[in-house]
Amino acid sequence: MSTTEATNELTFDPPGPGFYEQDSVHLPRAATRYWAETHPAPFAQGTSEFTAFYGMLIGGLSMTYINGIGYKSVAPLPDEEVPARFARAEEVFANKLWREQLREWDESVKPAAIAKHRELQAVDADALSVAELVAYLEQCRDHHVKMIAQHMRYTAGAVVPTGDFLAHVGDWTGLPTAELLGLMRGASPVSAGASDELDLLLAAIEADPRARELLASDGDGAETLAALRSLDGEAGAAMTAYLDLVGNRLLDGFDIAEPSVLELPDQLLRAIRTAATTGVVESDLEARIAEVRAKVPPEHQESFDELLGEARTMYRLRDERGVYSDIWASGIMRRAALAAGRRLAASGRAHAPEHAVDASIAELRALLEGAEEPTADELAARAEYRRTHSARDAPPTLGTPPPPPGDPSTLPPAVGRLMRATGIALGALFGSSQEEHGEDTLRGLAASPGVYEGPARLVAGPADFNRIVQGDVLVTVSTSEAFNILLPLLGAIVTDSGGLLSHSAIVAREYGIPGVVGTREATQRIADGARVRVEGAAGEVKVLR
Amino acid sequence: MPGAPVDALRNVPLFAGLDDDELAGVAVLFKERHFTAGETIVKEGADGAAFFLIVSGEATVAVRAAERASLGPGDHFGEIALIDEEVRSATITATTDLVCYGLTLWEFRPLVVQNGEVGWKLMQSLAKKLRSAES
Amino acid sequence: MLEEAADTSVFGSKAVGLGQALRDGLPVPPGFALAGPLVEAVASDEEDAIEHVVATIGPLGGPLAVRSSAVDEDGAEASFAGQHLTLLNVPSAAELAGSLREIWWSANSDSAITYRKRLGLFTRPSIAVVVQRLLDVECAGVMFTRNPITGSDERMIEASWGLGEAVVAGLVIPDSFRLARDGQVLERRPGLKRIAVRSLPTGGTVEADVPPELVERLCLDDSQLEALNDLALRCEEVYGPDRDIEWAVADGTVYLLQCRAVTRVGTA
Repeated sequence: MSTTEATNELTFDPPGPGFYEQDSVHLPRAATRYWAETHPAPFAQGTSEFTAFYGMLIGGLSMTYINGIGYKSVAPLPDEEVPARFARAEEVFANKLWREQLREWDESVKPAAIAKHRELQAVDADALSVAELVAYLEQCRDHHVKMIAQHMRYTAGAVVPTGDFLAHVGDWTGLPTAELLGLMRGASPVSAGASDELDLLLAAIEADPRARELLASDGDGAETLAALRSLDGEAGAAMTAYLDLVGNRLLDGFDIAEPSVLELPDQLLRAIRTAATTGVVESDLEARIAEVRAKVPPEHQESFDELLGEARTMYRLRDERGVYSDIWASGIMRRAALAAGRRLAASGRAHAPEHAVDASIAELRALLEGAEEPTADELAARAEYRRTHSARDAPPTLGTPPPPPGDPSTLPPAVGRLMRATGIALGALFGSSQEEHGEDTLRGLAASPGVYEGPARLVAGPADFNRIVQGDVLVTVSTSEAFNILLPLLGAIVTDSGGLLSHSAIVAREYGIPGVVGTREATQRIADGARVRVEGAAGEVKVLR
Repeated sequence: MPGAPVDALRNVPLFAGLDDDELAGVAVLFKERHFTAGETIVKEGADGAAFFLIVSGEATVAVRAAERASLGPGDHFGEIALIDEEVRSATITATTDLVCYGLTLWEFRPLVVQNGEVGWKLMQSLAKKLRSAES
Repeated sequence: MLEEAADTSVFGSKAVGLGQALRDGLPVPPGFALAGPLVEAVASDEEDAIEHVVATIGPLGGPLAVRSSAVDEDGAEASFAGQHLTLLNVPSAAELAGSLREIWWSANSDSAITYRKRLGLFTRPSIAVVVQRLLDVECAGVMFTRNPITGSDERMIEASWGLGEAVVAGLVIPDSFRLARDGQVLERRPGLKRIAVRSLPTGGTVEADVPPELVERLCLDDSQLEALNDLALRCEEVYGPDRDIEWAVADGTVYLLQCRAVTRVGTA
């Protein structure tokens, strides 16, 4: 059955009064048990810290997991705390309190976090005794919890000055948010994957012909990385240092079910090659800034400089707070869980090492110590559950939406300014993903040219065939000859797997209809009935709203 | 023995007016075909190429995604598209594994044209379907 | 015997193509070609026909790969890709009757007949069959001797672990390679090969999970790519340009499983 049907069979009840919204940007899939148990407490703690720090009128944010799907809700602020928040909001802008957060981050919090990450990831989990492994799992979990709180605590530090800049300059110039965000370019090297370690690595490779040859080779990814690492001299040392920095970062998402960088060596090599061949791009940033500044009324131009300065200074915190906190810690936890999983698989307590990510730490401990539950089948069933239940099919909200916010002009100016800044920034920085949702583009292999727009029909197999009507876009994992019976009805074909020489590709070309194959996740990201545009020659499928 | 066993055809209403020799003549044209549970045997809107007789198992008939009837041993289906040479009028899906005997249009038409009894029976069953569709 | 198949109106172009390939010394696994009328007789349950087939093919042993070879298939300007059945891993000649009946029906199914009508073929189909020993395949896939998307003079190869079904049926995102005519490797792109089709000891095939470390590992090395390019050249010499080749690597050898004409690209 489709993920939609699977998810529709569950009931989603709000856990209490209030309004709950899915966070499908950060949590597109059902969560592991580990994550659902671990995430809520530090998330609530970290968010309540930032709302207090910045004098915001909410108590914090809460995350609740229902059927493994994450729902966010706002924790209200007790009335008696409001005056303190008002006072604090005044100070935020007057004293640029965000800089305090940045100083704290750079001088103590980030270095301490990195040191702890390195300490934990240096442990050879496979060499530990059972008791040591259990202790190590708990250490990794405790560290992960701290890192989740840390990530949330620094959220507003990036958001407030950026939003403040966007709000004011947007008013003064009328320019769209996306264009103004372009002025942040270069302010966050870590988002572009840059780091000192990468620079050293690229320089070392450039200087070492053996390394250059290895990088240029098309051999197996894991073997090439291992070979680079074992080179004597600068190149090997730089490779090791770089892998120590990025290796345990999750590539995408936050849950420990997601793969980390080291698990996809081909992708990492491709990224290094790209960095090596991409020269320094001439930046027209100065010119762009001047252009925008010229549109600002003269009496505000000094403020423009100040606001831009603050926004650019703080911008890197947006990505650093994740990369150096829980994105790394989650990779370390995953690594430890997989080590436990290897032991459990060897002793028959799990069907595959990967299934260990579906157990809680308490369960892993019990299993390692000889308990029989949860059974291997149960763990496998949990993994299968996550695979078959998509966040997109679950209700987007639960509970009654709150009444619209009151007129901001009734609030003290600093508070109003803060709310506006936060609102705009969240919309721009995270709602740009909302735009992605509004116009999701999937990419695959360009199997057959042509452009076609029509309703998507998710078909799992022959049992679904009678749902197809003339003009539908077939969206399925792969096609077999059984699907041929549908061909005269279809406007286009989109598949998750398959190459340019697969059945789907060949019949699409023969029938002269647009075809995009090998998208990997079309069936997960396109809802049944959604209007899509298939651009065959470009290999793109756009979900339209 | 090539074709369908005569016994399988004997109690089929469509062939009720035939004597044993005629039945044998018809039986030899059929070929056995199996379908698995859940398989789409015939799809509404697609061109039709074969006529089937069910020997064992069950199937459902759906028109525009609404279930209309179910078929079991002794029932036949697929003749309408072979007669008017238009597309399949319904979707037929196997509910259980099915054993059928089938004729393609190249055997079906000569069979009906040369055999008045079979033709008459077919018209009777079509008339019945027409009445129930109109009511 | 497969290498004797010469008449396409009896054996279909796939069988004749493979027969010709054997006669030309191409690496085709040996086997038998069964004529269209013989296949129909078996599908009708005629005892003589069934006995004849079992007796002839018995010596081949098992397990067997059974492929349809439609008469007048390659005369038409269409690939019939996926229209006709291939049955892999039929345990022995004794089980062939059921396989041949399935193949006969696949050629006479609603979708196959519709497909023929669309191509302007209104006569009844005749379907011959090729039976060969099933190889113990490490990796397999498809090769087009000309790039079907751009029309450039280069070989496009898609490969995956296990039987070539995974590539043909699009069960995986296969490794993709492009070779220049002189054999130079123009591109190697690892795919996402999570599934491998493997034969089961008792018959039939199964979709097995590929070990994680192999999912993105290239399944062809340079010497195998060279062998495939050689195969492409030889097929072109024998058959002409624009070939759609199904190949497999077993016991270190590159085998030719199928070779037919590539149909026109959809850019017409």
